[in-house]
Amino acid sequence: MTQQALADAVGVTRQTIVAMETGTYTPSLALAIRIARVFDCKVEDVFELNE
Amino acid sequence: LFSHIEAKAMNPVQKVAWTELIVSVLAIVLVATLYPWLGSSALGGFALLGLLGITPLFLRRRGNQVVRDERDAQIERIASWFGFGTAYLLLMLSMVAITLFYSQHQRDVPTSLLSVLLWSQFAFCYALKGATALLQYRGNNSAA
Repeated sequence: MTQQALADAVGVTRQTIVAMETGTYTPSLALAIRIARVFDCKVEDVFELNE
Repeated sequence: LFSHIEAKAMNPVQKVAWTELIVSVLAIVLVATLYPWLGSSALGGFALLGLLGITPLFLRRRGNQVVRDERDAQIERIASWFGFGTAYLLLMLSMVAITLFYSQHQRDVPTSLLSVLLWSQFAFCYALKGATALLQYRGNNSAA
């Protein structure tokens, strides 16, 4: 799946997907859940919390 | 310049930020350049700031394209707070300094000086807002 396809699927711009991949943007809970739904998995499978 | 901008595939909010920065800096430079010759008439150069009125055109919806998402909103919020906050702070400090200076010399503050101050703070505010937004977008355009 391309960044643009994922961006279109969850309703954000491609730059936001890039920012999340590079760790410069932390998505809202709603966006994190939408992304997890696209990949049909749990939020914690897509994102991890660096403490 | 335009091919460079196009190659980076900016989103609409980035275009707004670039417009704010370029127009504000151009207005400040124009007024500063004309002021020695025209005096307070050079303040007419701030009319360039009227071009900021075109920025909503960048934000109009085109088909299913996402115009502004949650990250853009966050960036805009931070940029606005920084731009307006800094400009307001500088305006107040400048007014205090000017008032102190002229009261020490037993003179009235010239109204032309207040006009210069107000217009430049307005331009400065939008320049800072645009620059802050662009700094936050920096480095997130590549395909990664």
